Parts: sequence; C-alpha cells; structure tokens
Amino acid sequence: MSASAEAAVRGVGRDSLDALIGRFGEGSVPSGVRADALARYEELPARVSIRGGRGWKHDLEKLDLSAITPYSDGADEATTLPASGAALAAGVTIERFSLARERHRASFERAFGTAVDTRDDKFASLALAFARDGVFIDVPPGVALDEPLEIDYHAGPAALFPYTLVSLGAGARATVVERTRSSGDASLVCGIVELVLADRADLTYIVDQRADEATRLIVTRRAVLGTDARLNALCAELGGNHVVSRLRALERAPGARVETVVFFFSAGKQHVDIETETIHAAGNTQSQTIVRSAGTDRGQGRYFGNIKILANAHGADASLRDDALLLSEGAHIDSVPALEIAANDVRAFHGATVGAISEEELFYAQTRGIPRAEAERMIALGFFEPAVSRFPGEPLREQLRLALENKLGPKPV
Amino acid sequence: MGSDMSERGLVISGLRAGIGGPEGAEILKGIDLAVEPGSVHALMGPNGSGKSTLAFSVAGHPNYEVSAGSVRLDGEDLLGLAPDKRAKAGLFLSFQYPAAIPGVSVANFIRTARQALHPDDLTPAKFRALIFEQLDVLDMDAAFLSRYVNDGFSGGEKKRLEMLQLAMLAPKYAILDETDSGLDVDALGAVGKSVDALRKSTAGAATGFLIITHYPRILQHITADHVHIMLDGRIVKSGGPELAHEIEREGYDAIREQVAASVG
Repeated sequence: MSASAEAAVRGVGRDSLDALIGRFGEGSVPSGVRADALARYEELPARVSIRGGRGWKHDLEKLDLSAITPYSDGADEATTLPASGAALAAGVTIERFSLARERHRASFERAFGTAVDTRDDKFASLALAFARDGVFIDVPPGVALDEPLEIDYHAGPAALFPYTLVSLGAGARATVVERTRSSGDASLVCGIVELVLADRADLTYIVDQRADEATRLIVTRRAVLGTDARLNALCAELGGNHVVSRLRALERAPGARVETVVFFFSAGKQHVDIETETIHAAGNTQSQTIVRSAGTDRGQGRYFGNIKILANAHGADASLRDDALLLSEGAHIDSVPALEIAANDVRAFHGATVGAISEEELFYAQTRGIPRAEAERMIALGFFEPAVSRFPGEPLREQLRLALENKLGPKPV
Repeated sequence: MGSDMSERGLVISGLRAGIGGPEGAEILKGIDLAVEPGSVHALMGPNGSGKSTLAFSVAGHPNYEVSAGSVRLDGEDLLGLAPDKRAKAGLFLSFQYPAAIPGVSVANFIRTARQALHPDDLTPAKFRALIFEQLDVLDMDAAFLSRYVNDGFSGGEKKRLEMLQLAMLAPKYAILDETDSGLDVDALGAVGKSVDALRKSTAGAATGFLIITHYPRILQHITADHVHIMLDGRIVKSGGPELAHEIEREGYDAIREQVAASVG
C-alpha cells in the first residue's frame, strides 16, 4: 500500500469503514450491521450519566477521532488468544473474533448480540462498526475449567476495536482474564465485552487493565445470566489516560448472582469514568458491588453505580458499597450510587464515602515509628485491599499491589 | 535546644498544653514528672483531669498544643520532633482507643514499625520467632497476624495488639493510656503478663513505664513503684503504691478535699 493511500485512512467515518472491509473482509460482523452501527455512532449523544468535577477535562460529546488510524495494516497481532490445551481437549472453542462466525457459525450466532444492545449506545456502536480484533470463547455445557483462559490485548499506534465474546453453556465453569496493555504511542481502545451465561454457568471474569497512561479506552461490558448462573466480575482499571469503563449485568432468570468488584487509581492527569449496573429482572436474584478508588496528583475519577430491581424480582438481594480516597488537593472523585426499586419484598443497600486519609490513622502509625509519608502509602495500599483480596491467585494480587504502589510514586527513603 | 545525653529518664518539666486552635483551652497546667529507666509510675485521676492530654502531648498528637515546658527522653528534647521521631527516640504510647487501619495486616504493620525503629536488626526468621513467642504470652493464635489492624477488634483484642506492639518494638519508655478501660479480667491479666514478660526480658529490663489509669485495678496486675494523682491538669499528690489503695478506698473526692484544705 502506498503512503498516500495509507494517509487517506483516517478517522472513523464511512470511508475508513469501507477501507477496513475492503482490506480484511467483513469478518464476523456483516457489512450492513457495521454500516448501521456507524450511523448510530454518528447520531447518538454520548450520554454521560454524571458530570465530572471542576477538574474534569474530557468531554465525550466533543471527542475528535478524525486523526486516528482505525486499524493496523498487519495481521491482528494485537490479540493474543488464550493457550490452554486442557480447554481445547474439553471441547472449548477459542477463536479469533474475526474468524468466529465463519468457523463456528452455530455457537457464535447463539451468543453474539444477546447481551449487548448497541442500539442506544454511541461507543458500543462504534466498537461494533470497526470490530476486528478480539476473541470468541465458547465453553460447552457441563465443562468446568480450572485453568484460567488469558486474553491479551496490546494496543499500538492504530486504534484497537476488540470484541470479547464469552459464552458458557449450562453448568459450565470458567475463569477468563482479559489483560490490556498498550505502547506509549497508542491512541484508542474501543471495545465490547459480551458475557453470556446459560443456566447454572459460573464465570469469573477478570479485567487487568494497565494500558500506557497516554491511551484512551472506552469499553462497554455487558453480561446476561440464566437461572442460578453466577458471574464474578473483577475489574482493575489502573492504566490509560482517559478511561470509560461500563459494566452492566442483567440477571434475567431466578437465582442468578453477580459479584462486581472494581478498583481504580487516578494518578497524574488520568481521568477514569466507571459505571456499573446490575439489573435484577427475576426473583431471588442477588448482587454485590464493591468499588474502591483513589485519586492523587491531578487525577480525576467518577463512579456511577446503579442497581435496578424490576417489579417481578421478588426476594432480590442487592448491595453496593463504594469508597473513594483522595490523596492530594488536586485530585477529585465523584461518586453516585443509585437504587431503582420497583419490587416490594427486596433487600437493597448502598453506601458511599469520599475522604482523605484519617489523621488518627496517620498519628497512630507515626507513634510506631513509621514516618508520615510511609504511613500514607501503607494506609492507601491497605485501602484497596478489600478489593484486591477478591482477585484469585496470589501472583495476580501481588502484581496489582505492586502496580498500585508504583502509582503512589517512588518510595520515600 | 540543649540536650544532655547523660540525663536518663522520661522527664516532663513544667508542661502546659491543651487542645490547639481558636477554641483551644489549657488543660495541663504545669506537669512535672520523671520516669526513670526500669521504673513503673502510675498516673491516676478522674475523667477529664488531663491524663490523656498528657499522653497525647508527649507523643505529639497534632491536635494538642504545648505552650510551655519541656519533655526530654534520656536528655533528647522531644517536643520539636514529629511523632515518628519521638518513637525513634524510644517512646511508645499504648492508646486508649487505637485507630483501625483496614487493609493493613497486623504482621505487616508491626514489621514496618520494627523496621523503622530498629532497621535490619532481626532476620525475617528471628522476627517471626519473636512475634510467635509474644503471641503465646498474650494467648493469641497466629490468625491474629493476618487480621487488619484494629479493624473490627473487640476491646480486649485492641489492648492485646497494643501489648504485642509494645513487646515487639521494645521502647525505652512506654506510656500506657487507660490500658484497663473496657477490659475483662482475662484481658487485664494478659496486659499484666505482657508488661511483666517485657520487664523480665533483656530488651525490656530498662524500659520505664507510665501507666495512666482511672481505676486502680490494673495495678493489681502491674506493680507500680510510684503513684501520682492528677486533678484538673495538675499532679496534686505523689507517693508509693499505698496511694492507689487510698483512691480505691476513698475515691478522688477525698484527695480533692485534702488539696482544697491545704490550699485554703
């Protein structure tokens, strides 16, 4: 391809979509679906749930993507598929998203689009229109995997539009880890994650996002759960420059359970925008949401957490706990937990705190000889521990603790 | 600031202090008290007499302001130092209401403190052996070490953690503030045993104690060499262990009347 032709493919419009399809084919998303999605992206408002604080400098309505390169020209090396011999032997499908429809039509079509509705969502529409990278995982009914399936996304200079589709059959059990990293010249990661859990399926889904602090990430995650299915979603959103991460779980059938744990730490000039929503749409459904966040330097954060209990969700049990820690004058975190309850016989709890490190804790540590700066680090790391300790495996927990520690700046001597 | 390194003891002279800020009021009205190495002093007084203000002022709590006087630890002036530097000089304060630090394990907290006060003096194996030995003295099991500092602790557990830290940090001088408040007999016994064990050890033989208390009952578990009575921010009477019995029999009002009579 000549330099001039390359230069023509910029931005996220009709031309660049046609160029993508011309270059790689339509892949797993039909051209017409892509075109419709692009049209919606262009028409829909960004619809931000809550306003940021005074320091908030990213306005999605004014987001200008005209200069981005919408795809990398090479093979889709940005995605590394899980390598698990045991899973393959057990009949699990692990496929590149771009090849999934062609190679696994029946199982792909059973799952694709069942949890995500892009019709009213600007950035999910954009992700769908340009979807190329990504993974399709299908775990057949009754198959239980002990070994985690690890997906790696690595964004480079070209924008990355990953689609992660995970489908668990009835009674299946799996752990999926989604790691996102990027190089310093990366521009945009705009993705969709779709988690489809049949009856009694049990999925632990882990987000380990440590992209470079110059990368913009906008990821829409949607899950749908059948009868007695269980989703444990654990999200560490530590990297990125501007991060928009939204997770919605729909408990569609009785007995479904969702545990959501999210933590983030806005340092430097990071803006992190997190939304979680659990919809109780059937009886005896449960959900627990735990969010921990901290801000330092000029870091900005906002969290919008919603629990929706529909009228027929008798006996639903939901809790949402959100705590934020401010470590500098310039940092700001807004927190809005919300409950929408239409049923009568339910239990629902929500609570939120935003505050600085307590002087009493600092004084206590200092009387033990621990210098103030070191005490602050220790207390701040401890603040995340109720979230970190929920992640499976000591090696991962140690990595996350180390990543948090690095964000606190160099250790005082 | 002058410092006389040949002076031994935690020496409080003419200390005046109170809550800082515009609403502040003087609570300590000139305290003189010297705790010698290896000695046990009890400071007794009713609620509101200024006992905890003394403990916090000596330890350097940011809400308390010292207006006059000095506090020296083996000749080193403490009042100009940050709280952690006072600990480094050899001071320890056992809190009446210790703060909870969620997410920080007891083991991690004590290891960090020990490392700050006595860098690299114990190998990890020796640290481990020492902390298990101290857990035994306090009748605690190893699971205690992985709990978060004071988070959800009962009154007895909080005091045991204070005593565990006392033993592990081996200070030169320890102030135990209201160590008996809210404790059952077992917990009180454990505090007594812990102080006893420390005083009998090589590391703690020279530790001087200032035990601050309202009730004399802790003194059934720890024998004080000297007893001081505090009323309204002043030490009004000092004596031997018999003074504690006098309080037990007659209460603080009798002392108050004696003082009023001698002044009047």
